Amino acid sequence: MRKMFSLSVVLLVLVATVLSACGGAASTKLKIGLVTDVGGVNDKSFNQSAWTGVQKAATEFGYDTKYIESKQPTDYEKNIDQFATEKYDVIITVGFMMGDATAAKAKQYPAIKFAIIDSSYFPTKDSVACPDTVKDCYADGGLKNVTSLMFQEDEVGFLAGVLAGGMTKTGTVCTVSGVEIPPVVRYVVGYQNGAKWMKADVKTLNVYIPSFVDPAKGKETGQSMIGQGCDVVFGVGGNTGNGGLLAAKEKSLMAIGVDVDQYNTYAEVKDALITSAQKNVDVAVYEYLKAVKGGASKAGMITANIKNGGVGLAPYHDWDSKIPDAVKAKVKEATDALKAGSLATGYKP
Amino acid sequence: MSTVTKTISNGARASLRGTRWVTVLIGAFGFFAAWILLNLIIGGQCRDKCVVDTLAQTLRVATPIAFAAFCGVMCERAGVVDIGIEGKMLTAAMVAYAVNLFSFQIFKNSMDVATAGSISRSLALVAAVASSVLMQLLHAVVSIKFKADQIISGTVINIMALGVTGYLYRQFLAQNLPAGPGTFPILQIPLLSQIPIIGPILFQQQPLTYIMLILAFLIHYMLFYTPWGLRTRAVGEHPRAADTLGINVFRTRYINVLLGGVIAGLGGAWFTLEAVDVFNPQMTNGLGFIGLAAMIFGKWTPFGALIGAMIFGLGNSITTTVSIYRPDIPSQLPQMLPYLLTIIVLTGAVGRATPPAADGTAYEKQ
Repeated sequence: MRKMFSLSVVLLVLVATVLSACGGAASTKLKIGLVTDVGGVNDKSFNQSAWTGVQKAATEFGYDTKYIESKQPTDYEKNIDQFATEKYDVIITVGFMMGDATAAKAKQYPAIKFAIIDSSYFPTKDSVACPDTVKDCYADGGLKNVTSLMFQEDEVGFLAGVLAGGMTKTGTVCTVSGVEIPPVVRYVVGYQNGAKWMKADVKTLNVYIPSFVDPAKGKETGQSMIGQGCDVVFGVGGNTGNGGLLAAKEKSLMAIGVDVDQYNTYAEVKDALITSAQKNVDVAVYEYLKAVKGGASKAGMITANIKNGGVGLAPYHDWDSKIPDAVKAKVKEATDALKAGSLATGYKP
Repeated sequence: MSTVTKTISNGARASLRGTRWVTVLIGAFGFFAAWILLNLIIGGQCRDKCVVDTLAQTLRVATPIAFAAFCGVMCERAGVVDIGIEGKMLTAAMVAYAVNLFSFQIFKNSMDVATAGSISRSLALVAAVASSVLMQLLHAVVSIKFKADQIISGTVINIMALGVTGYLYRQFLAQNLPAGPGTFPILQIPLLSQIPIIGPILFQQQPLTYIMLILAFLIHYMLFYTPWGLRTRAVGEHPRAADTLGINVFRTRYINVLLGGVIAGLGGAWFTLEAVDVFNPQMTNGLGFIGLAAMIFGKWTPFGALIGAMIFGLGNSITTTVSIYRPDIPSQLPQMLPYLLTIIVLTGAVGRATPPAADGTAYEKQ
């Protein structure tokens, strides 16, 4: 009898624990899902940065979070579907390439909030900000539940170009670029115009490589452009761009990283890195999730630029003492002018 | 009895002799035509230095493709189809990267950085070859001993390599790791590297590129001028005849396939020890398969395969040169060039390519 009693107590306790655990998870916590692009969550670049932002928000606001990595473009819709069937509240998709998949799925699941990085929609597709003439960009296009987190890469690219134009000895600067998509093009155009703003007769070279995961090709391309006299290589394109940075480092030239401060993420080339053109994807994602918490998230575009600190140059690190004050002053001047709106980067969507 | 061997060897030699020079000529012509075309496109801006740079780059890009093609030559000459080259190269690339990086962390505390770097790079090369041979052993046992379909076995290796490297990368290599020792330095061959034009193209390269070039001669000599080569070709053409003459078909195939594994391992190591010092999933980018195309282009001969690899490499480096000089041309157009060139050369210039007669069939001893 006593044995029966103790056994039933144990059982009761067990059942209670299980029930309370289930109840707790289902009722209060908001579920946030992140779908990465093919680079994966450890790409030392913008996928990783997005995940960092999600995690920061999760610890602060107590969200349930999970990520799924896309292995190829055909996975995008599948991965979004998976989060949708698991009843996630917010789905964040990373990258321009996922634009079409996200739009289609946002229409299919109107109750789920979507945020996409680097891609914008009707009626201002591929632009970085909603024009004043349009009242509500996304609601008009039937995307009432989508927020685009956009970055003015052309502005920070411009600053990188100013620095490159000031530092080049040969008078030639170059970019090893990934796939020719708007965020990459914004970086490249900004960089080239920035270099020319600094030094009118500077020569700019650029090659687009149709992959973000081909460092060997990136390095070959970098070496070719170095052969043509380039001495400041800006790598714009995930792992492909990293190959370009390596080419510059091996020839003891200068390199500029992209998206994150690559001095920290790509230690092999830190001797060559004069700066990195950062876009703070983690901050943008975090701010968005904070808005979700407060119920203030809206459909449409949120644009990060120099003015609001969403993009900017990373510290000069080891090169701080080697960059002349005159060049630093010009970078400062360009920064202020971009903030004030008195300087245009020359990028047109 | 001996007439059988004689017929085999004569047949192989004759078909080889007839086509070899044609292949070389077509290859040379292809290079020349591509060159004219290039200068037309970029308006003659490519002067001496640019030409030399482009050709040196051609050789670098061709290196992994040539390794893949040599691996194919070794296996298929003995009658074993190997489409798992891509997978073996990918695995070897990851192993080389990991061994290089981690052994450097150990060695650098007890000796100077340069020595530690070269020791860990050599270790990494050995480990890469070992990993590739291990995978090749699987392919060999499955397709020679168990007589399974060789295409399936190769496909399994490719898929397995994708999964295994992807998993290991995510688990252990995708963190913020310390800096590794970097890639093999450029080895300048004394005197020869000073020759104008040829020097910078042929004699200012990294070690694996030299190994690739030496291998082309070595494999050619071994296949066509040694008893071992004769046996290999006999086993690939007519294993039953070879068997009746006392050649151990199974052993010959095992040796050849495993040697192919060694070569594929070198090709994989190229990616992370010679090209760049990072690894990322799928970084071989299908070059293993392009190597197989180069092998077919070269009609299962090492020099032919090398030329095939060079044509693809040339397409690649021309793409870069055109993109640099003509930013006004949409970037997608030059990017098609290497593939277009490969198709044109494969379909138009080569003519009929006949594989070894027993290629891809398991041998049943009676």
